[in-house]
Amino acid sequence: MGKHAQVRVPMTARERNDRIFAGALLLPSVLITVIFILVPVADSVIKSFLDFKVKNIISGTPGSWNHFGNYIKLFSSGRLGMAVAHTLVFVAAVVIAQFILGMILALILNSDIRFTRFVRSIMMAPWVVPTIISGLIWMWMYQPQYGLLKYLVGIFSGGKMTDFAILNDPNTALLGITIAALWKQIPLTTLLLVSGLTNVSADLLEAATIDGANGVKRFVYITIPSIMSVIKITVSMAIIENFKQFPLFWTMTGGGPDNATTTLAILSYREAFVSNNLGSGAAVTTVWMLLMIVVVFVYNRVFKDVEMN
Amino acid sequence: MGARGKKKIWTMAEYLILAVILLFLLFPLYWVLMTSFKTNMEAYRFPPTMVPEAPNVNSYISLFTEDNFFFIYYKNNFIVSGITAAVTLVLAVMSGYALSRFKIRWNRWIVAAFLSAQMFPIVSRMISLYDLLGKIHLINTRAGLILALTAAMLPFAITLMASFFDGIPRELEEAAIVDGAGRIQTLFQIVMPLVKSGMVAVGIYAFLMTWDDYLHAVTLIQNDSLRTLSAGVALRYLGELSYDWSKVNTISVVGILPIMFLFFFFQKYMVKGLVAGAVKG
Amino acid sequence: MKKQTLALVMAAIMGLTTACSGSGGQTQGTTGAPAQAAEPAKEAESETKAPADAEITEPVTIKFANYAVLEAGYDVYWNQLLEEFAAENPNITVELVTAPYGEIVNTVINMAGGGDMVDLMYGELDWIPTMVEAGMAAPAADVLSSELMADIYPSILEACSIDGVAYGVPMYVSPFLLYYNKDLFEKAGLDPEAPPTTYEEMLEMAPKLAALTTEDGNKVYAFGLTTASVPVSGACLTSSIHNFGGTVLDAEGSLAIDQGFRDAVAMWKTLHESGYNPENSKLKDLRNLFALGQLAMYYDQSWGFNGVKSINPDAADFIASAAPLAGGSGSGESVLQAGTLMVMNNDDARKAATAKLVDFILSEDKISEYFETVTPAYPSRQSMEELQVVKDSALLAGAAGSVGKVKPVTFIPTLSDLNLELCTLAQAVTLSGKDVDTAIAEFEASAANVIQ
Repeated sequence: MGKHAQVRVPMTARERNDRIFAGALLLPSVLITVIFILVPVADSVIKSFLDFKVKNIISGTPGSWNHFGNYIKLFSSGRLGMAVAHTLVFVAAVVIAQFILGMILALILNSDIRFTRFVRSIMMAPWVVPTIISGLIWMWMYQPQYGLLKYLVGIFSGGKMTDFAILNDPNTALLGITIAALWKQIPLTTLLLVSGLTNVSADLLEAATIDGANGVKRFVYITIPSIMSVIKITVSMAIIENFKQFPLFWTMTGGGPDNATTTLAILSYREAFVSNNLGSGAAVTTVWMLLMIVVVFVYNRVFKDVEMN
Repeated sequence: MGARGKKKIWTMAEYLILAVILLFLLFPLYWVLMTSFKTNMEAYRFPPTMVPEAPNVNSYISLFTEDNFFFIYYKNNFIVSGITAAVTLVLAVMSGYALSRFKIRWNRWIVAAFLSAQMFPIVSRMISLYDLLGKIHLINTRAGLILALTAAMLPFAITLMASFFDGIPRELEEAAIVDGAGRIQTLFQIVMPLVKSGMVAVGIYAFLMTWDDYLHAVTLIQNDSLRTLSAGVALRYLGELSYDWSKVNTISVVGILPIMFLFFFFQKYMVKGLVAGAVKG
Repeated sequence: MKKQTLALVMAAIMGLTTACSGSGGQTQGTTGAPAQAAEPAKEAESETKAPADAEITEPVTIKFANYAVLEAGYDVYWNQLLEEFAAENPNITVELVTAPYGEIVNTVINMAGGGDMVDLMYGELDWIPTMVEAGMAAPAADVLSSELMADIYPSILEACSIDGVAYGVPMYVSPFLLYYNKDLFEKAGLDPEAPPTTYEEMLEMAPKLAALTTEDGNKVYAFGLTTASVPVSGACLTSSIHNFGGTVLDAEGSLAIDQGFRDAVAMWKTLHESGYNPENSKLKDLRNLFALGQLAMYYDQSWGFNGVKSINPDAADFIASAAPLAGGSGSGESVLQAGTLMVMNNDDARKAATAKLVDFILSEDKISEYFETVTPAYPSRQSMEELQVVKDSALLAGAAGSVGKVKPVTFIPTLSDLNLELCTLAQAVTLSGKDVDTAIAEFEASAANVIQ
């Protein structure tokens, strides 16, 4: 910055032009984002406070303020609490499992075993499978009567569990969807972590080995801190993506059985598009967004502290 | 001996874990491929056959002859995803550069807006979005879908792109400007070549993510000749009448293959770029 | 928002179906015949031109929302129908609006919100209250030809009505009837011509059927009742409640849980605990299992046969139908299902063109063809009472008369959501293993939220 100070006078003119130039470069993106994302979202938040049904759209009449009625109804019926719990469990399960499995795979791929290039390439396959199709694939694997999973569970349980249908049991349905989500997401996580690992300074690791640090110690004190930025962005991408997950739930369970997989995404869709109560659906999405913002905020705070250490 | 033996066991364990995880990732694809070559009656056999007993390509034939609307969905998806990726890329380069280089006053707010925009669920803005696109007569058009998808892709693309520009030393541009190059010229001729891999990464990422889109397409398109793949698959094969699993598996294979080839072709660039962006980001 | 009783005039159809089933075997229940005489059915030929039609000289474009146009099993029929219609009516362009079955109502609503209203929509009877609540549906009499309107069985028209106004006309109707596999009955040592008539009889037969295995050694399920979370499952569950003489909603649209309701829920639990019912299945899952000989009996709409056939073309050899079972103190009443054409409010030229299209779809030729090539069902027009395909249909013979024994469902705007709550109730007593009273109490709480 000191350089700028030396030539202050001509710089201000340039700075002003810079500003115009930057503004011009930013304008289209800002406009698109505001018009197609932020305004609709604000509109939705406003609707969440209104009695707003489908007939309001058709007849073009604005909704009427209903004294937080949508929120009160959702909270008091217990549906919202349930959906929040399912969403948080799902996000936590997928993000944690994905990180652990991805990290294990990344460490293996970063060690001196053979075929790593090949493996790195083919392991990406599930990631490019469209979500809808990945839902179909797993529904087929899970099929209650002739699915592969039933067969495998039958074999591994020694013929004791002959009727395993993961999506039909309220206790395991969420797990079933978690597995399908992991299948699609582990590859990218692994890929990002592997690339982080290759950048860890070999000198540092060698020095630590000479100092007598074992593998675990090296991993915790050198590897992890060195790839902190990669971990941070990988995990935050995973949090956001899984918070928003909709198609997998919608195609695989539709929120059932016995509401065991009703997440905020499913609840909002049902309120808005099955019950046609758009105000109520908007209330769910508003809670959903707030929750996501809080989680991401907390996450960033925690990570900031970690980095300080 | 002890240390070597330990190392050997360790390596074997590594191979074992690697095999298990790879099996988890790849077996479902194998399974889908195998099922697509089975007849319906064989597909419904239990215990299942690991390799088709009487492999046949009937479901492929009927898919390519009778159900050939499939190609329309493909074509539409390539057009929509391709243009979306291109538009996203151009806008992301412009905005990413601006955010990275010119620290203007509302920078923080713009960055915050882009970051938060990534987080809003699609369902929450679908109704307003529909209303909006209806007003400008873009419902049921590729242009409307492309605009909506571009908006959804932009925030992440811009943040990623900005991190690439952050990694380019300013001295080069300053030298260029001293040499009398204009700002636009500097951006296009000096800076952009340096972030090529990042651009490829952002472009392919946007392409893959829009290829995956379901909710936008299903809401904004009602005309079958404009429909994209995920929506088309849901429409044709997740209907209420019956499950034709052999065909569902065939459609899955056909739906995956081209995008997988595309990915493997570009993988080198994409991985390098995405990783570089993530590492710096 | 109430819809009155539908049963009475179904006598007309009953007369026809019992007549052709020969041995019959079904009693007519409580429905009477006099209403048939009360309806001065015009002897209108289905091909007769409605007055509005003659004036279509200017080119006009109408929009037809139809999910089935793209669904395998229906697509060929619909596309051909539209081609023929286009050839006959060069001035009318029919623009199709398509979306997945589960999404098409939203699609149509979204379009209308953007100022673009479709003219005609094909879908479930249960979608009517949603379209009316949204303010989109037009009274059918305002759009369709009076000949057609007069020819629809009045009771069926009632089933499409809210406060006495019909908002659509069914192409064809069917109750939730019982399909069963004659081969499996024979294998189990049961008389394939004597399906159960009550739940008790069914429970007596079930162990024999459940003891069977398929050739591959796979389990055979005795009785299928759909419980997975989709609105149509809720309609089927309602039908099962009606079997027991129970009700879900009273005529005013408030929750009316009675003994019949409780009996039905207890039966769902019994079916599950005995392992007779495939868990958490959609109708399409049941159709698959039935087609493969892994399911002995199940409830479906008559056109579910189309799904069965698409999996196993030989299914026609072993499938037979029977009237819905009676349970508890009920008489085996069920719920009417219909492929319904709903009309919307657009300008007169479009209305006239729409009327013409509906006339075409509901012409004797096309309906016969539908029953013959796509799937069997019962006609909705009195003039088709003697329709040969229905008479000849061995498939429908067993269930003859059951279409007259349907109990009306009160149309409330949130019917679909209520249906989903019924599915959740069924899942609660089966998959979650909750006891009947607890599950019903939970259902009451959540349904109350839906209904208000």
